Amino acid sequence: MRSPSMFTYNLSLAMQSFKRAPTLYFLIILTLSIGVGVLCANLALVNSMASDPIPEKSDKLIHISMNTWPGDQPPDEPMHILRYRDAMKIAESDIPKRSAVFYASGVYARDVQSTSMKRFDSDVRATTPGFFELTNAPFAYGSAFEKDRGMEVVIGDELNQKIFSGKNSVGKTLELDGELLTIVGVLKPWILRPLFYHATEGRAFNLTDDIYAPLETAIDLGWSIHARSSSADDYSGVEETRDRNAYYLQAWVELENINQRSAMQSYLDSYSQELKDAGEHPLTTRNELHNVNEWLLVKKVVDQKVLAFTIASVLFLAVCIFNASSLLLSRFHAAKFEVGLRRAIGASNRHMFMQGLTESVLLGLFTGAVALVLSWLFLKLSVQFLPRLANIAVLEPKLLVLGMLLALITSIASALYPLYRANRYTISAELK
Amino acid sequence: MNIKALLKSLLLRKFTTGLLILQLAITLGLLINSAILAIDTNNKLAEKTGLDAENILIVSLHPTSGDYRDLDYYRSIVSEDLQQIKKIPGVESVSLINQLPINRRGMLGNVYDLDDPELVRKDKYLQDVKIFLTNEELGNTLALALLEGRFLTKDDELDFGSDKNGNVLITESLKKALYGDGSALGQETNNGRVVGVVKDIMLNPTIPADKQYGVFGNRVMEFIFTGRFYLLKVNQGKVEAVRNKVSDTILAVQGERDIFRVYTMAEHMQRFYRHDKGLAQLFLMLCGLMIFVTAISSYAYSQFHISRQKKYIGIRRALGARKKDILLYVLTENWLVYTIGCVLGLVMALGFNILLSQYISLSKPDMMLFLLASAVIFVAGTLATLIPAIKTSNIPPVIATRTV
Repeated sequence: MRSPSMFTYNLSLAMQSFKRAPTLYFLIILTLSIGVGVLCANLALVNSMASDPIPEKSDKLIHISMNTWPGDQPPDEPMHILRYRDAMKIAESDIPKRSAVFYASGVYARDVQSTSMKRFDSDVRATTPGFFELTNAPFAYGSAFEKDRGMEVVIGDELNQKIFSGKNSVGKTLELDGELLTIVGVLKPWILRPLFYHATEGRAFNLTDDIYAPLETAIDLGWSIHARSSSADDYSGVEETRDRNAYYLQAWVELENINQRSAMQSYLDSYSQELKDAGEHPLTTRNELHNVNEWLLVKKVVDQKVLAFTIASVLFLAVCIFNASSLLLSRFHAAKFEVGLRRAIGASNRHMFMQGLTESVLLGLFTGAVALVLSWLFLKLSVQFLPRLANIAVLEPKLLVLGMLLALITSIASALYPLYRANRYTISAELK
Repeated sequence: MNIKALLKSLLLRKFTTGLLILQLAITLGLLINSAILAIDTNNKLAEKTGLDAENILIVSLHPTSGDYRDLDYYRSIVSEDLQQIKKIPGVESVSLINQLPINRRGMLGNVYDLDDPELVRKDKYLQDVKIFLTNEELGNTLALALLEGRFLTKDDELDFGSDKNGNVLITESLKKALYGDGSALGQETNNGRVVGVVKDIMLNPTIPADKQYGVFGNRVMEFIFTGRFYLLKVNQGKVEAVRNKVSDTILAVQGERDIFRVYTMAEHMQRFYRHDKGLAQLFLMLCGLMIFVTAISSYAYSQFHISRQKKYIGIRRALGARKKDILLYVLTENWLVYTIGCVLGLVMALGFNILLSQYISLSKPDMMLFLLASAVIFVAGTLATLIPAIKTSNIPPVIATRTV
């Protein structure tokens, strides 16, 4: 039974069977592969959205939300955006290994030495220097800036491609909204899916930033806030926000080990309590710490619409399996004379079962091949319909494997009952 | 037709019949919910905005040069822009604004009457009122309907850096929230003195229609760096002509600007719902595929059935059943399956609706939709089984004489 000759014999029987009813097998392959393809495309989207962007230390990176709004009607409780002095209180703590305090901005950039006046719209991360090591930002050239203040920037690969066509641009000077800043580092292509460090305001699937600038410098230059901000005081520019109740900074810390979470928590809680005792805010002390995966979960970065559609495609796959199953049943029924004959001349139940299994595995492989093509197609189609997902529509190798597995499983599952039935056809009845 | 006999015959093929019924039920469940999604989206898109959306052009832009950090320079360029755009044939009026209507977030602030700051606690929507910084042309550009008082004028523009709030226009629903049915004119809010009340326009489609709170102040020149959009009221039929010209006109005034997009308010609304629409389209596509697969199943089901029943049908024919009777018999049998499938499908639709509601918002299924979807299933199923059914009715009586 296990001999190669038996296997090839089974294979050739399967091929014969396919040839005898090509339309029927075509329909089976078509329906199963559409089902698997649609589901696989969806799982690819869900996979990108639900994956851990920084698995090596996602449990040690902590996002901090605080509750220090000066009035009794805060926009949120607690708030994921912090005001300058609260954020600085976090940055100066020596409990965590390092911290990053930042906000999102945007400027127009050009190479000062360029003859072209074209300026490129660039997303800016105005941040403390801890950001680079905290996020494991990969450097191609140069290194991070070292201080909170300085006319220095690190740029991303995409901008470096656009302005310097990918060459080492360390030491070059950029004109950013009329100010001159020197490049000290250039990053490699850097993909974070999701963009965990800024998972709010619908930015979770944005690309990483183009320009990373020292936080204090960006504030001094008045680079405007491009993400959410809430303020209890009036201000006319970011440069005025340091001593006001303007909330716009996000803070992350990296802990040496996860046991420090409680130390960090009590550090923040006692700070909040101090503020409350001083009458600076009437709210209950409520500082929330989330590690990367907790934070992505809290912020629901997995698109709920895609989840809903995934449920629908699971049901669809079920329908496809049912369909294949009833098609196969009719196929086996039509071939029952042959089955009976083979049983009569000595094929055991096991033989018949193995033969049927070979056929469905082969069917599964064909289905898998078609399904992978279709899932790529459906992925493209999904992006057409849901353009917001463009950055995450990628078929990773593990999904290709999953698609193949799904195809095999569905193909075998749909053959199970028909096989069982076929093997119960009595020999005598068929040979009458 | 003897239903009992039919049911008995169906029970002989429990497995295939069961599978088909399940398929039909799932298909119906999905079909109904997809239709709901599509209808919901269409309803949202058809909601009244209170705007002449087709004839309002939006230009979104941002200066690219550092020179614009000099606000006086910025203002002078913008003033020139406004003049030049107004000269484009077909442009009725043009204004500058910090944010667009039909948007979820944007610049929000709390609004209360200075005499009654506690009101904000009672109505949470008063905490997130849309604050529009614009100029005196806005009333014309958006063709706002004045209910009382007056529009903003050039005189409402304050000296730059003034710490006064100035005069404001508010929407009708905000007026109702703050002052009930009384007049709002001359009332002092934390955002300024009310000089006019306009009919509601759709500011944020995700909140109730009677909570479209908005405040308009003539302050965009003061905070010129917030002026991200030019709004153009264009004469009927001139939209495309103006659309083609406006970017060049702006860049001719001063070239160091990045013009992101020129689009109508109607397109802006479409964009707002693009994701919803995309999802509905995806669902409908899946439905199409599902009906296709189910039709194949129905076809295979009858085909399979015939191959097994050939002899009995032959006997029936021999006993005097006409072709018509056999056709009707096969079809009735299928219809019975569809009926069971659809009834089960109703349950499936409700269950599926509840399941989907965990993730997205959609309306409840109604009877009309169920009947319509059932009709689709019946038609598709009948078409798919027609060929096998006709084939069956062509089985000659002579089959009965053959013994197995």
